[in-house]
Amino acid sequence: MIKVRAALAAASLLLLAACGGGGGGDASGDGPTTVKVSVIPIVDVAPIYLGNQQGFFTEQGLRLQIETAQGGAAIVPAVVSGQVDFGFSNLTSLILGASKGIPLKVVAPGAGSTGVQRKDFGGVLVKAGSPIRTAKDLAGKRVAVNTLNNINDTTVRASIRAAGGDPKSVKFTELAFPDMLAALDKGNVDAVQVVEPFLATGLKNGARLVASNYVDTAPNLTIAGYFTSQKTVASKPELVKKFTAAMQKSLKYASDHPDAVRKVLGTYTKIDPSVAGSLTLPTYPAQVNAAGLQTLANLAVQDGLVKSAPDLKNLQP
Amino acid sequence: MSVLPVLRRIVLLLAVPVLLVAAWWAATANSTDFFWPPLSDILGTFDDTWFHGRITSDVLPSLARLLAGYSLALLLGVGLGTAIGSARVLRALLEPSLEFFRAIPSPVLVPILMLFAGIGNGMKVLVIVSGCVWPVLLNTVEGVRALDEVLRDTARCYRMRPHSRFVHLVLRGASPQIAAGARQALSIGIILMVISEMFAASNGLGFTIIQFQRSFSVPQMWTGIILLGLIGIALSVVFQTVEARVLSWYTGLRRSQREG
Repeated sequence: MIKVRAALAAASLLLLAACGGGGGGDASGDGPTTVKVSVIPIVDVAPIYLGNQQGFFTEQGLRLQIETAQGGAAIVPAVVSGQVDFGFSNLTSLILGASKGIPLKVVAPGAGSTGVQRKDFGGVLVKAGSPIRTAKDLAGKRVAVNTLNNINDTTVRASIRAAGGDPKSVKFTELAFPDMLAALDKGNVDAVQVVEPFLATGLKNGARLVASNYVDTAPNLTIAGYFTSQKTVASKPELVKKFTAAMQKSLKYASDHPDAVRKVLGTYTKIDPSVAGSLTLPTYPAQVNAAGLQTLANLAVQDGLVKSAPDLKNLQP
Repeated sequence: MSVLPVLRRIVLLLAVPVLLVAAWWAATANSTDFFWPPLSDILGTFDDTWFHGRITSDVLPSLARLLAGYSLALLLGVGLGTAIGSARVLRALLEPSLEFFRAIPSPVLVPILMLFAGIGNGMKVLVIVSGCVWPVLLNTVEGVRALDEVLRDTARCYRMRPHSRFVHLVLRGASPQIAAGARQALSIGIILMVISEMFAASNGLGFTIIQFQRSFSVPQMWTGIILLGLIGIALSVVFQTVEARVLSWYTGLRRSQREG
């Protein structure tokens, strides 16, 4: 009798162990590990959708679960609290977070500027008949950006500075990208900083490009990246390694197959196919441009977004 | 008057808030979570965050927009409401459309309002009006409809002039209902004040809180949330004071009816 009971106990222990094993996020069991990634549904994140289609994440034993969010402000808390494993954000937001002491780490680059004047995926537009000709003329004018005190206003200021203007006198207004072209048309603002697909749409409707703000800021600037918390880096190193590997392959594939990128846009955005064919894609670089990251950190300090720049070594991959 | 009842009132008034604050304090005392800083940290940044320029640059503009929007909504709601409540034809004509517009949440109207009213203060005031007007309007309609028939006939018999009939019979008679609508509208107004500043703003309380949130200034963000709550309390106290004065005849009437 005692033997039977002992055997039962042993069996139940085994059962418990088996159940417990499946739940661990970093388990190297048979089934694929689910990895949650929070992104903003914009052109920049096409590689992750494309890589998922191509099976680059399955190859690594990952089952990708992509969740979309409105902006970085919502993504960072989700990553830090562990609700999602990885997030997508522009680098200035991550610099802001790191400078406030949030332990973040970039694990893969996201999207970068093409580095070509007038042929970048983002820029400053004015109305057809506007007296504004160059970035210098933006001084004292009303310029719309999608978020204040972030990458787009600091880089527009950098553009103005580079052109020899006074960046302090620019009046920035916060507007969502979809509302910008209408506001420009109505004269509510004098200029708008837009990214694709709104850049191509605006140009098609007669607006004029006066500055490529990302190009003016630094050569081959990396705009955004995929990040996680330092906690995840320490506790799930395997998961981070696999995700980074799959992301690298996806970025490479996206770089080599721009037509596939244009096609995948239709699966997660509402971009008009006629516009998708003509818009300027960002680059999908293999690594974060370190000099550019430093420039963004310097700009954040210069424009008063943060008091002091964080140690970028902890942030970088 | 003895001290005890006064003391009792104060205890009743403060017991729950004090308990809540104490619970918050205790729960976060040793918190290392970035997004849940200790309450002591939050209160420590309060003065620095708000009392060095932000009152005039952000809080007052917000309150001015709220006041403008709320007053406009009251005017519009009471004006239209008395007209609709007095005329059966008008009511039958407008009721379906009113129900339609009432069901539209103001925040979804923002991009459309921007096309009409631009991106300045006008748009933000309109957002507040578009949300606040409904409780006032609908309550006024009901209040006017429910006027005592006898009073109405009496006023007619005495040949009260239209103007004095409007002021002393219609408005006065409907005022308890109007006040109920106005009270509801006030809290909606505070919410919409914040929401309207999430679009195309460059100052304001809601705008500042969002900025703190985006720049990961978490204690500062919490101070903004607390400040919003305090403003809510202050406005409600002001409202109750005005209401008690305007409706003193009504509360007196109710009391005498209950006691009688």
